[in-house]
Amino acid sequence: MKGISLIRAIFVLLLVFLTACGSTDSATVVKLSGWQSSPAEKQLLEGVLRDFEATHPSIKVKFEVITDQYMDAIKTRLIGDAAPDLFYLDALEAPLLMRSAVLEPLDPYIRPEDEVADFEPAFLKAFQNGGKTYGLPKDFSTLALFYNRDLFAQAAISDPPKTWEQFIADAQKLTRDPNNDGRPEQYGFGLIPELARNSFLLKALGRDLTNRQGYAIFAHRRSLKGLQSLVDLYRGTPNGKHSITRAAAVPSDVGASSGSEMLGQGKTAMVIEGSWAIPYFKETFPKLQFATAEIPTPGRKPGTMAYTVAYVMNKQSKHKQAAWEVLAYLTGKEGMEAWAKGGLVLPARRSVLTRLGYDTNPLYAPFVAGAKYATIWQGGETLSIINTHFNNQFLSALLGEQSLQQAMQKAQDSANREIKTSNY
Amino acid sequence: MLVKIKKSTKLQETLSGYLFVAPAVLILATFTFAPILYSIFLSFHKVRILGEIQYRFVEFKNFARIWSDERFWIALKNTAEYVLLVVPIQTALALVLAALLNAKIKGRKLFRVLLFLPTVTSSAVLVLIFIWIYNSNGLLNNFLAFLHLPTYNWLGDPNVALKSIAIMNIWSTAPFFMVIYLAALQDIPESLYEAARLDGASAIDQFFTITLPLLRPVTLFAVVVGIIGTFQLFDQSYIFSGGSGGPNNSTLTLVLLIYQYAFKNLEMGYASALALILALVILISTLIQRRFFQTEKL
Repeated sequence: MKGISLIRAIFVLLLVFLTACGSTDSATVVKLSGWQSSPAEKQLLEGVLRDFEATHPSIKVKFEVITDQYMDAIKTRLIGDAAPDLFYLDALEAPLLMRSAVLEPLDPYIRPEDEVADFEPAFLKAFQNGGKTYGLPKDFSTLALFYNRDLFAQAAISDPPKTWEQFIADAQKLTRDPNNDGRPEQYGFGLIPELARNSFLLKALGRDLTNRQGYAIFAHRRSLKGLQSLVDLYRGTPNGKHSITRAAAVPSDVGASSGSEMLGQGKTAMVIEGSWAIPYFKETFPKLQFATAEIPTPGRKPGTMAYTVAYVMNKQSKHKQAAWEVLAYLTGKEGMEAWAKGGLVLPARRSVLTRLGYDTNPLYAPFVAGAKYATIWQGGETLSIINTHFNNQFLSALLGEQSLQQAMQKAQDSANREIKTSNY
Repeated sequence: MLVKIKKSTKLQETLSGYLFVAPAVLILATFTFAPILYSIFLSFHKVRILGEIQYRFVEFKNFARIWSDERFWIALKNTAEYVLLVVPIQTALALVLAALLNAKIKGRKLFRVLLFLPTVTSSAVLVLIFIWIYNSNGLLNNFLAFLHLPTYNWLGDPNVALKSIAIMNIWSTAPFFMVIYLAALQDIPESLYEAARLDGASAIDQFFTITLPLLRPVTLFAVVVGIIGTFQLFDQSYIFSGGSGGPNNSTLTLVLLIYQYAFKNLEMGYASALALILALVILISTLIQRRFFQTEKL
């Protein structure tokens, strides 16, 4: 008998203890997941979230960083009903998630004071489908030309190239091989051989990447002109009419892991990178004298890529109103300004962009200018298939295994075949 | 009475027997048999898994699609190439190392530990270290240049990328089989060698007529386990290529392909069909080896 009463006493105590714990913490907890490119980025966001919690005492935000394979993790959690209330969503992955009905439409929550018209329309559109808005963009980044001013001065080039022809000519002038072993120590241009970085070249000169049915249509002679000049720059065309010397390298050629690292180490004089590279250079290569310019015009029209990310809400969320409060704060003027001060990415609201002076800052102005004519890195659900085939075949063309036209035709055919066979 | 008691104790024994195996059976059923059955079920369906789950019976269409899937054939070719490259070299290397360590040399315990270390190191860590070594300006290329040998873009060149992974894996798994060979070598009675020496057999004769035949069951084990392991190559090529199987599909293996279809494209039905085919390939190759090594039992 004594034993039982003791157990009962412990049980009662435990119960009291547990309920006491619960009652002290009555605030709604909203879970937020995202990625981070640096620890500083996480600190910045946590600062913004603390500001939010100070003004909204009934809501607590739990921020969790998913460090690797973000979308795989989020998709798996959505399937397992274990996804956070709010999460980052790249425009690239938005079409699939919007169509799968796992995101909460935000239209019923949006109030006039949220000033949705203030967002850059193209970025907002990336998260709309069937007349519904599924996410509010948090920020964006475009691509621009980064160049090493010291190396430009050495080669007696005063201004960054404006046209594609100037760009090709400058890249050759900036390539140096002091020890004459046939492998340059310094290349003019650092190339990232990926569709995500180069698809604007297709559009600027020819047609779109895909047609309405989601089939690839990029292997067109006109579309490939821009890419062809990159291949020429990489391989060199010593026998042609307009002979080009080898003046480009990819990161693995020079033992770097990214385009910005190539420029930072002085292995290349120019790279095309996003605004995220600016804080990286300042931190990692403080001595580097770099500047930015808009990407040289590849055809008649200027072109660049834009990447945008939004906050979206999980349809299964249990605290939708609270989650909306957090979302509205983070994408509101105040929250976005605090977030975008870091300079990694640019704010998606035009008013914040102007207020922070990014459009007049010489380093950031080319990125802001690019937003007007950029190709957003987004496509239908078939984009990932096209992306894989393009990247493989483009690399093979770069390595000289086949001509670019052949390689791209092969990429297009095999991508379309895969798209077709996956429809049953 | 006696019979009755006997019967009840027998029943009790049977019951307690089942009770004892129950935990193992339960765990195996939930985590091994149920997933296998579910995966067979999935492979005949087109599955929509995100949002509302939907299954649509598609007969053998998933398997028909495999036949026309270019990337499947590339992955199969890569995997087969990798298996054919790694298994013979790693088995031979393991045997040579074991024979060396079995000889009475100084500090052999130290060598055993040193050689075995890569096997107990996490493969993810090894890959990261090797990415540094294979870097265009890394240790290996500098070493090769020092010896006036040709250098390679080990990570970026589609022609060598898979071989880079193979070299790394041979280096890290050979010691595991070496330890098994070593144990088997020490089991061979010294008297056999003594008799052979009296008959005038040279060291090489002894190796080929005594050591190798007696090691046959171990060799079968090393080859079978080696082939199963190499067919399932995933983590190394995943980290090497950042999950893409690049450059130019050169490090795309079957398991990586299954992963891509299952978790990137969320095509669970098709991925399950691929997984079944992989299981079939491994099964067939194991059966062929058993025939090859005749009826030696493990």
